[in-house]
Amino acid sequence: MRCYALVMELDEASLAIGRIERALSRMEKALTDRAARPALAPGVSATALPAADQSALKAEVAAVIGELDRLIAEAERG
Amino acid sequence: MADVKLTIAGRPYDVHCADGQEAQLIHLASLVDAKARGIQGGTEVRQLLFAALMLADETQEAQTKAGSAEPQLDSLRAAIALAESREAAARDELRAAVSRESAALDQVKQAAAREAALTAEIEKLRQGPPAAPRRAGPDHGRALGQIADRIEELAAKVEQIP
Repeated sequence: MRCYALVMELDEASLAIGRIERALSRMEKALTDRAARPALAPGVSATALPAADQSALKAEVAAVIGELDRLIAEAERG
Repeated sequence: MADVKLTIAGRPYDVHCADGQEAQLIHLASLVDAKARGIQGGTEVRQLLFAALMLADETQEAQTKAGSAEPQLDSLRAAIALAESREAAARDELRAAVSRESAALDQVKQAAAREAALTAEIEKLRQGPPAAPRRAGPDHGRALGQIADRIEELAAKVEQIP
């Protein structure tokens, strides 16, 4: 019973890590595609997102990275 | 029946008594004889009369003393009964205390055994396989899942950037 629960836990973590890897690949691909696209006109910013959305996106990325760091540190401490 | 020869106030008497009572009869006769001899003068009958009166007086005095001692005897009997009752109660109390003590000792022993078992279990866990890699617990799995949700949302947003 205990072994079964452990397998379930490992599966949950493995699935989450797989999902994270796939989401990161999607982001990398989207950013690479976007960088390869030519600019529409001189003087136009590479980012078509509004400044508020841009800040929110950056904040969310920082928050997720912070959360991951915290989780890794916690896992190392046991 | 036994034949006994008595001498009281100088006169011999042949009397009978139950077998085995001879010595007692002779002793009683000696008491009567001593009283009769203590009375000087008078006829033999008068000596015996006074001896009988003196013995009757002593008997009455002894009965009076015994009667006055009866309440004291009752008090003594009551005191003894009370002491015996208290002793029995004390013995019961002691027995109950010993029983309680024994039960408490058993509990202490059981607690000590449980503690020893727990200590052994903790020691076993402490000396567990050190080479085993640290696994993600259920909380970490859930937290990773939530982070995966957020990164997937981020990916979707990044993909939607024109």
